[in-house]
Amino acid sequence: MSDLPLISTPTVAEAALVERLRGGDQSAMTEFYDRYSAALYGVINRIVKDEEEAADVLQEALVKIWHSMASYDTGKGRLFTWVVNISRNLAIDKIRSRQHRVGSRTQGLDDSLAAQRQAAPDTFRPEHIGLQEITRKLVPEQRQVIDLLYFGGFTQSEAAEELNLPLGTVKTRARTALKILAKLIR
Amino acid sequence: MEEYQSYIESGRLEQYVLGELDPAAQADVEQWAARSPQVRQELDELLAGLGVYAEAHAQTVPAGLRDKVLSRVLAEIGRPDAQAPAAAAPAPAMRVSASNPQPAAVASVPVAQAPRRSVWAMAASVALLLSLGANALLYSRWQQANTDLVAAQNSQARFAQTSQVMERRLTTTQEQLHLLRSPVGYKMVALAGTPAHPTARARVMYNATAHRVYVDVQQLPPLPPGKQYQLWALDKGKPVDAGVLAANTASGDSIQQMKDIASAQAFAMTVEPVGGSVGPTLATMTVIGNI
Repeated sequence: MSDLPLISTPTVAEAALVERLRGGDQSAMTEFYDRYSAALYGVINRIVKDEEEAADVLQEALVKIWHSMASYDTGKGRLFTWVVNISRNLAIDKIRSRQHRVGSRTQGLDDSLAAQRQAAPDTFRPEHIGLQEITRKLVPEQRQVIDLLYFGGFTQSEAAEELNLPLGTVKTRARTALKILAKLIR
Repeated sequence: MEEYQSYIESGRLEQYVLGELDPAAQADVEQWAARSPQVRQELDELLAGLGVYAEAHAQTVPAGLRDKVLSRVLAEIGRPDAQAPAAAAPAPAMRVSASNPQPAAVASVPVAQAPRRSVWAMAASVALLLSLGANALLYSRWQQANTDLVAAQNSQARFAQTSQVMERRLTTTQEQLHLLRSPVGYKMVALAGTPAHPTARARVMYNATAHRVYVDVQQLPPLPPGKQYQLWALDKGKPVDAGVLAANTASGDSIQQMKDIASAQAFAMTVEPVGGSVGPTLATMTVIGNI
């Protein structure tokens, strides 16, 4: 097990924070913000690709998390998984409605393989496992699939169509990529 | 194969963690996870792995936006009227795909409604989004074009280099051909092997008027390391240095222009240390020939 202070792994402090949030303690929200905002904002910004809009979605997500906290089931999954999913869903809704309004699906700025190969993250927190570490474990083809599925909100069949690949290939790549990621913290 | 193994292999768990499943299928996965510790473990690993991936993309909220977001959130959750109805809302389950739409109940939860809604703001937003979309498209095309351009420039540079090399070779060959085809004023001097090297053979093309000397090797014995062939002109019995032979000359691959020689009656080659000697080492004489 890695000794990095990953917030995606649970701690005692997390359970206490959940209790305070449930109790309606607003100072817990500030603490929650300081602990999770970078991770949530990172995911959101990667989906909506616009800082202002990402901040709006983050705000929306935090309010939703606050109000839904009572229904969060600690037995069903980690707090991080749950909150990141709420944020991700809202962000994906945002780009879906944007695409709807623009009338056509706009290709993500860095979905192309070439961009993947030269992409450099502008900011990430070095105290977490860095993007580079992950990039090294995943080949660009796997990252491309995972990025489309995770940050693009594509289903596996949509990703297959988008990348012009057989569905089986997309499934294999997604599965392999997830397996590698899972091993990172084993 | 155990039943749980084939379930793990089915890819259902990956779909679950990526949010592709409808609520019924989600519940099915959760039941499996509750029944089988192996499925539970696999699922936890995948969720954790994806969590690491999400966290690896962490980005600090830009300084100017942090306070704005936090203060708005605190203002929003501080409103007592918003809290009561929302607390009863069902948990938003994992759901992202278009084929798996959000339940209406969740959609109706009043969250973070921006208060200002003027027609102008709407029009401006639409214009901005259109512009963003167009920019995104143009940007990705521009990036692609840039990549293509770099590739094209690289291959162009490679071709230019190749053609320079070819041109140099062609010039050399033409000079040699010219020399061989117009031997006006040139004398061919055949150099035969000495008794120690009977198979060695070379020739010198000598122009006494222009003082030009060329050497063309047919066959010379291989050299020991650190040695080089050196050509000598013999003028009235006295050896005069005519220069050393380059490796590709000694191997017979190229004709080489040597030092200018004012007058000579014979030419000979000896083996000397690399760079040549002031005087010939007669014992190593390989070929010799009279004009």
